[in-house]
Amino acid sequence: MSKKIFLDYKRCIGCKACEVACEMTHGEARIRVFEFPDLFTVPFNCRHCEKAPCENVCPTGALFRDEDGAVAFDPLKCIGCLMCAVACPFGIPKLDEENKIMDKCDLCSDRRAEGKLPACVSACPTEALLYGDMNEVLWNREGKIVANLKSSAEKGEGEKAYIVL
Amino acid sequence: MAEKLVPVVCPWCSVGCRFYAVSVNGYIRKIEFDYDHPTVNRGKLCPKGVASYQFINSPKRLKKPLKRVGEKGEGKFEEISWSEAYRIIAEKIKEIKETYGPEAIAFLGSEKITFEENYLVHKLSKAIGTNHLDFPGRYCQYSNSPARTAVFGSAAATNPFEDVAKAEFILIWGHNPAETAPVFFGQYIEKAVLDNGAEMVVIDPRATRGHKYASMHLKPYPGTDLAIALAMLNVVISEELYDKEFVNERTTGFEELKEAVKEYTPEWAEKISGVPAEDIRKVARLFATKRTALFVNEGLNQHVNGFEFALALANLIAITGNIGKEGVWSGVFPGAQCGFCAAMTGIAPNKLPTGKLVTDEAARAELERLWGFKIPDWVGFDLTTMIREMGNKIRMMYIVGGNIARSAPNSRWVREQLKKLDFLVVQDIFLTETAKYADIVLPAAAWFEKTGTAISAERRVQRSYKAANPPGEAKPDWLILVELAKELGLGEYFKYEHPDEILREINSVIPIFKGATPEYLAEHPEGCFFPCTEPGEGTKVLFKNGFKTSDGKAHLQPVKWREPPEMPDEEYPLWLTNFRLVGHWHTGTMSFESPSLEKRWPEEYVMINPKDAEKYGIRSGDLVKVETRRGSVLVRAEVTDHVREGVIAMPNHWNINVLTLETIHEKTKMAELKAVAARIRKVEE
Repeated sequence: MSKKIFLDYKRCIGCKACEVACEMTHGEARIRVFEFPDLFTVPFNCRHCEKAPCENVCPTGALFRDEDGAVAFDPLKCIGCLMCAVACPFGIPKLDEENKIMDKCDLCSDRRAEGKLPACVSACPTEALLYGDMNEVLWNREGKIVANLKSSAEKGEGEKAYIVL
Repeated sequence: MAEKLVPVVCPWCSVGCRFYAVSVNGYIRKIEFDYDHPTVNRGKLCPKGVASYQFINSPKRLKKPLKRVGEKGEGKFEEISWSEAYRIIAEKIKEIKETYGPEAIAFLGSEKITFEENYLVHKLSKAIGTNHLDFPGRYCQYSNSPARTAVFGSAAATNPFEDVAKAEFILIWGHNPAETAPVFFGQYIEKAVLDNGAEMVVIDPRATRGHKYASMHLKPYPGTDLAIALAMLNVVISEELYDKEFVNERTTGFEELKEAVKEYTPEWAEKISGVPAEDIRKVARLFATKRTALFVNEGLNQHVNGFEFALALANLIAITGNIGKEGVWSGVFPGAQCGFCAAMTGIAPNKLPTGKLVTDEAARAELERLWGFKIPDWVGFDLTTMIREMGNKIRMMYIVGGNIARSAPNSRWVREQLKKLDFLVVQDIFLTETAKYADIVLPAAAWFEKTGTAISAERRVQRSYKAANPPGEAKPDWLILVELAKELGLGEYFKYEHPDEILREINSVIPIFKGATPEYLAEHPEGCFFPCTEPGEGTKVLFKNGFKTSDGKAHLQPVKWREPPEMPDEEYPLWLTNFRLVGHWHTGTMSFESPSLEKRWPEEYVMINPKDAEKYGIRSGDLVKVETRRGSVLVRAEVTDHVREGVIAMPNHWNINVLTLETIHEKTKMAELKAVAARIRKVEE
């Protein structure tokens, strides 16, 4: 299973360090933090879909899947036809107005090539953003729930266990 | 061109995050996260940290010394050479000394310049013969710091940040660490709450980013927190929840304290603060029965009654025994990365760099022996008194890296006062509002453009190294001070070629920094905790056995209720308070020059509760006029539940100090920046 950026939204405090880190790396932020009135915040970047519509519809093959499974992008092949933008259900690919080509998150391929984490994940002060294998992330979450259920049962507060996490 | 990885300390808040500046040919190209060392931030950074080198490349940077040609405040200058600038300043200092004596000259140090540079500001002011010395931190920690010193003998944070994760109860009172120190919040507070099951309570008139982790939120009116603190003392004492063994063995004055808070019941506090009595009881019980980490900041400090409030909290910490052990935390939390650098080099009107008082003859004699010149023995003026005496007893000021024309309360009045000075020198990296009133402006090197030492909120002493060249003819502050001293004929006392030499002198002059040598800090990027008497021997937890008072015990202080100096009335019916944004820092001199931050946090606004907004016919996005007795500002309104009814709140980076009150506390000289009476009305467009 390929590695992706996962969000532990409970930890996000909406500081926008991910946005700024992305902007400092790529010139434009490819991740956005959405803020809701009840202090709920969600940083949102490209999901690098398993069946990526953007990649499927790209007529020139500018969008491709790299060896780590990210939907990466070859600017030299892009003709700025916006098909990827139309196909993406999340509104991720954006037009770089100056160069008339598309721009999207490639999970920081330059940084990954050097063995580093994507910039947004590196910066995130609360570790709300995780870069990892989906199964690993989900197993960790499941493991935590089981551990919480166990400790709650030991303390005799089973009914509270469901509200943890 | 080879890329160099230069280890640096972040220039904004006082958490002390480390990262690498990737330097190419004297320019910073990007940053790299530092996961290798046992750093406080574990490689993580907030938006300000990630964007921290943007401001140093701003085209607005000062590049040459400037001499004023227009009116004061107009901002018209002509470029002059360094030698001419030094000559003019030296001549003026001599002239003022001859006419009015050295006591007509005042110096301001800064929480933005390094430890070494603050030390030199102090040394230069004493060499010129004046004790009028202070720094803008007067409006930051000067309620909490003197109060904790009165009770414990020292104000500094008692424990390292890692102890926060071990706490059972976290009380955040008038502090917004999720925005002012996101890395600290994410790496320590969140871990305590989400991973280690600590309980968290917030006391604040505003809902801040971290509120979703709190089990309770108490919303007092601004400036009435003291009533809650007194009621908590009352509950802890009357319900006998205090640590009896600790009180008997390690404190004095318990009976007086008990007598003083007898009347302050939670019901009494409810009437004043608007917080339900039962909630106050619950928090007091939690505080007394658990291992508690207490975080306070400007919500405590920037009030005229902040000193009493801080005393009440220090008493509370002492009688519940939440000090001198692992898993607790309390202390000052400076807003700027070098707050401690100024405080620990004695940048205050009554202190010597050794931490002793200027009135202490033996301490003065010892320092005179080390420095080789006479030191004045009188207590100088604090910042607010300096501003009041401008054009009267103070004829000249030398300001290093401070922007009092925006940061000091009632700033319109401050600007008028600045015009009354005979001569003003401002040493800074941008032409700030204050610099516009200067006669001579000296271009300084920014952080990253010089080597120096920073001290973080947890007392961690760390070295930061030069990663970029200053623009134009700008020079590091220490070099400017050394060259000016030579021009003044004081060269023999200022023989420094490199900041290392200054740090070595500090090692010998200030005993608690003896072990923080340049060599040790170079080899240990994680730094050391002061007091560090020998290299490698830092002190992580303070007061394990005794306090720094004369008898080693905590001196409990009786406290009485004190009203804020200005309360809402019919004419001005609302409380106005201020807060900080995650993307900006202080008066914005640096963060406004950072495009990534400016884009996301572009302008000031006023938060107003929906019920109040309905009363005044205001909707989100409306242009409104916020008025107090000092002045008015036009801002956009944001209607939100995050601020309690009867209170309006504005970020403090822009113009809020046009509205604040310069009334000061008689002892600490803290002004009222957080709770003033205001009114608001919609402006028709």
